[in-house]
Amino acid sequence: MGLPLFDAHLDPGPSFFHYAETAGLMTPITAASAHSPHATTVIAVRYNAGVVMVGDRQATGNYIASRDVRKIEAADRFTAIAISGTAARGIEFIKMAQLSFEHYEKMTDSALSLEGKANYLSPIIQRNNLSSPLIVMPLLAGWDPSHQVGRIFEYDGAGGCYERFDFATIGSGTPFADSALRLGYRADIDLDGALELGALAIYEAGDNDPSTGGPDFVRNIYPMMVTITVEGFRELDADDVAARFRAINDRRTQSGGVAGGTLR
Amino acid sequence: MSNYFYVSPEQLIKDRAEFAQKGIARGRSMVGAIYDVGVLLIAENPSASLNKISEIYDRIAFAGAGRYNEFDRLREADIRWADGTGFTYSREDVDARALANYYAQHLGDMFTEGQKPLEVEILVAQLGSKIRPTKLYRVAYEGTISDEPFYSVLGGDAETIRARFAAHEERIHPLKQTLKNAVDALAGPDRTIPTADLEVGILEDRGTRRTFMRLSDDEVSELLS
Repeated sequence: MGLPLFDAHLDPGPSFFHYAETAGLMTPITAASAHSPHATTVIAVRYNAGVVMVGDRQATGNYIASRDVRKIEAADRFTAIAISGTAARGIEFIKMAQLSFEHYEKMTDSALSLEGKANYLSPIIQRNNLSSPLIVMPLLAGWDPSHQVGRIFEYDGAGGCYERFDFATIGSGTPFADSALRLGYRADIDLDGALELGALAIYEAGDNDPSTGGPDFVRNIYPMMVTITVEGFRELDADDVAARFRAINDRRTQSGGVAGGTLR
Repeated sequence: MSNYFYVSPEQLIKDRAEFAQKGIARGRSMVGAIYDVGVLLIAENPSASLNKISEIYDRIAFAGAGRYNEFDRLREADIRWADGTGFTYSREDVDARALANYYAQHLGDMFTEGQKPLEVEILVAQLGSKIRPTKLYRVAYEGTISDEPFYSVLGGDAETIRARFAAHEERIHPLKQTLKNAVDALAGPDRTIPTADLEVGILEDRGTRRTFMRLSDDEVSELLS
């Protein structure tokens, strides 16, 4: 690769995605369907001072392919990005998003707005999902510094971008996680409430969906829990997460495996 | 049939060099210097938005002197090259030396074959790590590349400023002293540069992956006081 200089009318501007396409850095998309591990349930809950995200850790092919996948990553200091669908594509997608936001910042000496980041991902999803069976479905959440609120953006398979003002879920465990969130969500939910509800939603998904991993008390692997606030992206430490899942599990054990109508 | 006048290669090179030097001399100068825990880039720049100094990659920064549109295009190419290489291979494979070589080739080509030589000088700075050294690579308008041990001066007044800078001991100082020396060298004995007219960027480890940081006017004033 030589020095990438462009004539003014062919210049791809500050978009890394468009540059990468022009320069042939992207993997060509083919319609070939390969068996590849899938990554599974992630939820985002908006609360009064930001967004909470919880994601399971399991990648599933015909068997469990991996037990400790990280499906939520910081795309930059104030933005988190989560993936479901084909693991290989999802990881490339996260890399592309992280690099693109940083690239834009370096090229223009200013950061993209949160809405700008959300819209930027649409054509990337579209390019992948409409030309390949290796679907990837992301979820974007972040702290919007210009409006001082946490915001969540979800996508449809064709790349359509929609803002959610309460919560969003992606992945095969969606029906179960979403049900828990619908019953437990309140408009004035606080951080602790959002963390507890988010953990419960993933617990339910892990309990019912074979492709979603619940808390693994044997190997000490727990779902990822993160918060995005005015202070930026923060991952809860493993002990804190373990305690939360242990509490849910203990209650469920005591009630003989049923939620008992209390959302607990 | 038209007549071509013979111009000797020596004359051609001389003319082109003179042209480029004149262009560069119209812009203000800048200094890059290594300090005890980082690299300082400082430019005299009255504009707060048309930058001469820029982040390129995790441990690499860029500075340009001369014509803005020409070095800014090279800066963009630099960021694209670095991000593209990191994307294709790995972040640790992005090396300032490779970048400096590409600049040298491009500037060299433009000098001999272009419509006109580029009226720019470029500095590529790299903050050292376990696998790479701290470096200042200066690339001149005709493609000459030099690896400068302590500091590097770009732009019109380079020789005078270099002499002033050399008056201080040639060794590594902390940031405060280095910044002071650089500002003194840029200003000269008869002039003081207002802080608002200084553009300052540093590469320094702060526990994060990206090491480039711009210093605000307040931070610069405090360091200079």
